[in-house]
Amino acid sequence: MKVVELVEVTKVYELPRGSIKALDNVSASIEVGEFISVMGPSGSGKTTLLNIIGCLDMPTSGRVVIGGENINGLGDDQLTKIRRDKIGFVFQQFNLIPTLTALENIEYPMILKGLNGHEERGKELLRSVGLDEQLGENKPNELSGGEQQRVAVARALANDPDIILADEPTGNLDTKTSKDIMGLLKATNERGKTIIVVTHDPLVASYTKRTFKLVDGRVDRVGVFA
Amino acid sequence: MIFFEFAKRNLTRHKFRSVLAIIGIVIGVMAITALGILGNSVRLAASEQLYMIGNEVVVFPYGEEAVSEDNFKLIEKTADVAIPINSMTDKAVLNGESELVMIYGMRSEDIPKLLEKEDGQFLKHGSLNCLVGSRLADNYELRVGERATIKSQKPRIVGILKERGIGFDINPDNAIIVSDKMFSSLYNSSGYNLVVVKVDKIEDVEEVRKEIEDRLNKKEKVVLVMEMKMIVEGIKEFFNILSMFLIGIGSISLVVAGVSILNVMMMSTVERTKEIGVMRAIGTSKREILRMFLFESLILGAIGGVIGAIFGFGVGFLVDVLILKEASYLFAPSSILYVFVGTAFGIGTSVISGLYPAWKASRLKPIEALRYE
Ligand SMILES: Nc1ncnc2c1ncn2[C@@H]1O[C@H](COP(=O)(O)OP(=O)(O)OP(=O)(O)O)[C@@H](O)[C@H]1O
Ligand SMILES: [Mg+2]
Repeated sequence: MKVVELVEVTKVYELPRGSIKALDNVSASIEVGEFISVMGPSGSGKTTLLNIIGCLDMPTSGRVVIGGENINGLGDDQLTKIRRDKIGFVFQQFNLIPTLTALENIEYPMILKGLNGHEERGKELLRSVGLDEQLGENKPNELSGGEQQRVAVARALANDPDIILADEPTGNLDTKTSKDIMGLLKATNERGKTIIVVTHDPLVASYTKRTFKLVDGRVDRVGVFA
Repeated sequence: MIFFEFAKRNLTRHKFRSVLAIIGIVIGVMAITALGILGNSVRLAASEQLYMIGNEVVVFPYGEEAVSEDNFKLIEKTADVAIPINSMTDKAVLNGESELVMIYGMRSEDIPKLLEKEDGQFLKHGSLNCLVGSRLADNYELRVGERATIKSQKPRIVGILKERGIGFDINPDNAIIVSDKMFSSLYNSSGYNLVVVKVDKIEDVEEVRKEIEDRLNKKEKVVLVMEMKMIVEGIKEFFNILSMFLIGIGSISLVVAGVSILNVMMMSTVERTKEIGVMRAIGTSKREILRMFLFESLILGAIGGVIGAIFGFGVGFLVDVLILKEASYLFAPSSILYVFVGTAFGIGTSVISGLYPAWKASRLKPIEALRYE
């Protein structure tokens, strides 16, 4: 079953100096349970692609279907709801909410959705990403980078989304911690979650099963590591 | 309420800044509450002091010494009740002390129509006794049965009048009232110093005033006719304007406070751009962002409003006690109202000031906000 389907997706940024084609006629489909990496030189359109899949941005042309729902022409509230319920984000800079504790950060998406038992599930998720329950009381600035990224992964999983999107999730971590986080993502994938990781690091890509190579906004090559 | 919690935590993130914003609101609300209470107290004090009856027309001589007997006859014809009054300032000896007082001479039968008594009785026709005003009685510890001395006469005090306050016709509180007969035995006068006309229906006041003017001021102006209603209304109007003016001054400080809240909230939205981007990305709606920021300004306004109203009430109390020497006006419903008006203005100002920053924050595009460093 397809969880992401892109059909001839093009994204053009209009700038005063002219327009930039960040994505050029990209077509791809991703099945449920895939673990995909997106690689390519800087400026090749990786983040743009991820933003479109993540319903943060709209393509200039082309069709985007996420979890069976065509997102073209949806309003802000509907897109927000898709992001809340169907997508989990992991960022390079961790991006936890500084006023919330680690546990509250994990609970937050569930509270937004109006789920009951968010505290219980939050604690469960905290344990599942390998963190002590005590650390749940810490604010993000009282956690190490690796710990913050674990909390971010737990937060991404909170509403049991269809897809996890991670833009250079190990970009701010050392090799050892990067491996820990990738191991965590791999385990998550093995439990059936679809994951897309943008990375420059071949080591990171080696954890995934399929790689999209982007060059100048085009899918240059689709490789399979397995 | 997660967004209320966010608002609380975000405000404590920059305690000093939040406290400054709150102080602004406190000062504004305090000014409105205190000045509102002050204005209202002054108004209450004034309406208590002024002896206000709208159905009186008072006739004073104009360019002459007195209203002549003939003119008085003319006035009597137009009016339902016309009370001629003579007055003189003279020395009187009360309880052994000499004092300059006002002495009014009135027809005995007229006295109950204009004045009320506290103690004793009114004057009989042609009586050679006297009545004294309430202040005079208080100050000199005068009692019914004692005697006052005016010139060579020693009238007996047969009654003490009720306090009447400042009036535009006569001011009996610090005066001695004698009969017309007694007055003419004391002073040789012709005509009257003023004539008080009472009209049955308040709607007719204007007409009666006109008629008196027409009849008396035919050839030349000999009397000044004043309508109490007009004066009373003028005074009420004056105090209303005074109240509005004082509240206006208070509002200016609240506007300043509003600008400072706007400033604080703008700073906060800019600083938190990235955070807002993250919140939006992981599924927070525009409405929820808006709500979060509005809660922040609401909390600032509510804290500032309540503290300001309490302080304002305290200042109002001090002013009432120190200047008006009367705390009871403070608890009049129309004074207490300003406590709520002040609080409401404080909360309103701060929510309105927070509206624009909150709207700005909610409109941030998630991807652009995420990229913000
Ligand atoms: N908001 C924007 N406005 C204008 N141009 C943009 C915008 N976002 C991206 N671009 C341009 O689109 C192209 C693709 O950018 P994108 O961020 O997707 O690259 P990337 O592959 O993620 O690069 P990196 O590896 O450096 O993160 C670049 O040329 C970039 O300058
Ligand atoms: Mg990128």
